[in-house]
Amino acid sequence: MKRITIDPITRLEGHGKIEIFLDDDGNVANAYLQIPELRGFEQFSVGRPAEEMPRITNRICGVCPEAHHMAGTKALDALFQVQPNDTVRKIRELFYMAFYCTDHTVHFYALGGPDFVLGPDAPPAERNILGVIHKVGVDIGMQVINCRKRNHHVIQMLGGRGIHPVAGLPGGWSVAVNAEMRQEIEKIARENIEFAEFSLKLFDDVVLGNPDYVDLILSDIFTESTYYMGTVDANNQINFYDGKIRVVAPDGEELVQYEPKDYAKHIAERVEPWSYLKFPYLKDVGWKGFVDGKDSGVYQATPLSRLNASDGMPTPKAQEHYEKFYETLGSEKLPASRRYKPVHHRLATHWARLIELLYAAERMLELATDSEITNPDVRPVINTTPNEGIGSVEAPRGTLTHHYKTDENGILTKVNLIVGTTNNYAPIAMSIRKAAKGLIKNGKVTEGLLNTVEMAFRNYDPCMSCATHSLPGQMPLEVTIRNAKGEVIERLQQYVG
Amino acid sequence: MNTILVGLGNPILTDDGVGVKVAYEIEARLNGNRPKNLTITEASVGGLRLMELLEGYDRAIIVDAIQTRGENPPGTIYTLTLDDLRRVSPTQHSASAHDTSLVTALDAGQQLGMHLPQEIRLFAVEVENIIDFSEQPTPRVAAAIPQVVEMVLSALAHP
Repeated sequence: MKRITIDPITRLEGHGKIEIFLDDDGNVANAYLQIPELRGFEQFSVGRPAEEMPRITNRICGVCPEAHHMAGTKALDALFQVQPNDTVRKIRELFYMAFYCTDHTVHFYALGGPDFVLGPDAPPAERNILGVIHKVGVDIGMQVINCRKRNHHVIQMLGGRGIHPVAGLPGGWSVAVNAEMRQEIEKIARENIEFAEFSLKLFDDVVLGNPDYVDLILSDIFTESTYYMGTVDANNQINFYDGKIRVVAPDGEELVQYEPKDYAKHIAERVEPWSYLKFPYLKDVGWKGFVDGKDSGVYQATPLSRLNASDGMPTPKAQEHYEKFYETLGSEKLPASRRYKPVHHRLATHWARLIELLYAAERMLELATDSEITNPDVRPVINTTPNEGIGSVEAPRGTLTHHYKTDENGILTKVNLIVGTTNNYAPIAMSIRKAAKGLIKNGKVTEGLLNTVEMAFRNYDPCMSCATHSLPGQMPLEVTIRNAKGEVIERLQQYVG
Repeated sequence: MNTILVGLGNPILTDDGVGVKVAYEIEARLNGNRPKNLTITEASVGGLRLMELLEGYDRAIIVDAIQTRGENPPGTIYTLTLDDLRRVSPTQHSASAHDTSLVTALDAGQQLGMHLPQEIRLFAVEVENIIDFSEQPTPRVAAAIPQVVEMVLSALAHP
């Protein structure tokens, strides 16, 4: 046994690694964020009973186990051809809204928000949740912790387990809601609404009240006009749990609306020689390279894109903020459909996330006060022969799709997952490239590159899957700049040994 | 003294789940004689959520996988304190993948007056493969598990 005085402990391989490629003149040609490719999930899964998948897939990632659990459970509905009843659907959605409340809260207060609350130029050592608490006060810090705590409690009650939920069944949910639980969740939902409104007010005061930040949000360096994907309900309003996938063009026109099971008809993947990532794009538009605009099949799937792809929010308070969002950021309405044109400013994603937080809280209250929610009939009897099933939800980081095929005994023969972040590989690469372009001219790197590049990718909250629980639990960031011959000409690092 | 033992890691990612295996093994070894003031759990989370998991306990023992850049072979066992972790990252940075580091999260919790463990000990096992999906650790990591179990049991017996 050794006791170490630590030479940096990292799991750097693949984590937070940004590669920037320069052309012959020393200007940025390409850039991408390297995300670790975990191998062999399909081989791992094949041969197992399909009903284990919601519990297995929620282990893929310590960040959004609830999203994987839900997409997996919905894939089982399809696989076993069993339609969950209204109560089951509502309990699942209720559980899922609690998850959104925790996830969007932590992103704003611990990750995205510090850039604004403390300022993008604040030293990295201060741009964290401690800095936020210091700046806005212990009371607000406590509210953040309490918001997470009460919603984790809901997740535990409804999910059967605190961190990696287990309640999803084909066509069902193993936990029914009794009157006492319902009452408690209703109270929590009301507190969530209050907290979400408070957070939006904070955003208003700190960010929108500061002309420099508004300029930053509107600046060209953080703007890309791509297609946008999101799940919508029958009224074309946002839904996180269920609906059709809608894609709108940069000008706001609807490109397509399809059932999640038809994803392969609309989405293709592109392989590039310089990266092992596969870049999804819209088949109907085609791949034109890492460029934005209506002719390029690059799309994104984020809180910003969900707002852009919808006609509005189905709950009243969130809808008010939705309108304010588009009005403030200068969006006009399309003449025919009267829906807002998309906002292309990537940093507005942080604002969109808070509007989604308010929607999740309001939806939670609707569900918690629904008369069907306490119906005890949540476990259907299954007597079908499984074959193939696809399930999809909006994960906080983008549309998440699970696709399973089995033999007649329900033993998996094929598994495909498209995780939220995957959708955003191309736009992340483009955002990083744009940020880098502004700061690298003719081979000369301007100071502040790391910071700007970090802001560019952070608003996507890219998922590094299991990275988060590793010691020391923070992401070392390394930027490698290569010349046209592929030689490393500069390496910038923070928290790398 | 209320103690929580957390096996940390992804149990289906080859060596990454070594901490989880240790936690299960200890649960088995205690064979129903788990002291009332000891909670054993496993999770694949970090930062804030890990800190929140520790709330209400006086002492925490965390078992996790680790990859150092040193020359120690897979299966090497380290014992760490929070101060050791602090030294890895003497300044705190927001750019953890999704929230923040455990050290920052604990500092935040402390500032907010949360009841967090006064004593936190970490046992970490140098790992080899954390990229391939598998429930089986690599041989050298698997071989280290019995020793980690003994070390943790001893730590539990001698606060």
